[in-house]
Amino acid sequence: MSSIAHIAENATENSFVLLKIGHRRVALPAILVAELAPPVRLHTFPHTTPMLAGAIVRRGRVIPVIDTEPVLGGKSPFSHRFYLIARRRIGQTTELGAITVNGECELASGEMQPPAMDRPAFVAGTLAVGDESLDVLNLDAFSVANSQEARL
Amino acid sequence: MTPPTLQTNKAKSSTAPGKKPGRGRHPETVVLFYVANQLFAIAADSVHEIRSTDSLAGAANEIENPELPKVRHTIDRSGRTYYVVNAGQHFNLPVTRPALVLILRQFRAAVLVDRIDRMAEIPGVYPLPLAFVGEERRWYRGLAYLDDSVIPVVEPTGFLTPQEFQLLDRAHKRAHEREAASAVQA
Repeated sequence: MSSIAHIAENATENSFVLLKIGHRRVALPAILVAELAPPVRLHTFPHTTPMLAGAIVRRGRVIPVIDTEPVLGGKSPFSHRFYLIARRRIGQTTELGAITVNGECELASGEMQPPAMDRPAFVAGTLAVGDESLDVLNLDAFSVANSQEARL
Repeated sequence: MTPPTLQTNKAKSSTAPGKKPGRGRHPETVVLFYVANQLFAIAADSVHEIRSTDSLAGAANEIENPELPKVRHTIDRSGRTYYVVNAGQHFNLPVTRPALVLILRQFRAAVLVDRIDRMAEIPGVYPLPLAFVGEERRWYRGLAYLDDSVIPVVEPTGFLTPQEFQLLDRAHKRAHEREAASAVQA
């Protein structure tokens, strides 16, 4: 867990955390990552915001958990869910948000390329890692407006 | 009539109902209640009275209002008409059989709930994260963290909007007029 915090501290704009959501490998700019949290309890309560699964409590903060499943697909078993906590821009301010990941994260460096025209708003760009081309997520775009978008 | 199950004190609180919590959190007493197995909290000083639905069965009047299905009854208390909101329908929860009514202090609303858990002191109310953008922003004052659980703290004014009150007042007036007309005919 501390290694991710260390990664984020030393991240540059060309650093990316590679993670697995469901069965899909994606990338997230490391500069936005705050923490990889263990599988703590997901608290749920009635709400009407699409793409939010609930909230977790971490270091005395209530952190909303983004439900990426409707757009990214794939469901990690609860026992394997870790939470990657990252900063999101909401309106004029920033707020921490969490996404469920399977716990396997690694750091990569590279230059993000702009996304193809037909990519959804939550794809900020693509990153070439070895033979793979990974989507770089734009967590700010996981919101109501994009809940109806086609799956990746 | 069954005696009231609980009557809350008119405790003074530094947070007026309806006011958004400030940055500095402070302890407050809440009533914890369940609706469809979901735990909620409400500031104790915004609840005037808690009664069993059985005890109010004779005092409740039906109100015809198809536009607002969460309100199907009114009750008269101390010369005021309270609109009874089914909390399960309000929060889009599965249908249950509510056993208690929370009669609110400063609003003409009463809330049907399944059961009371207990009264508790919470260390403070966390603001609802900005990521929540739906109706919950009106439903909740924020979130409480108690006994390792995140509990939504309901906003009493969120049960009925001013527009909904107007709608209900009109429906209530019509019902009264109909009653008066049928009494004259009889």
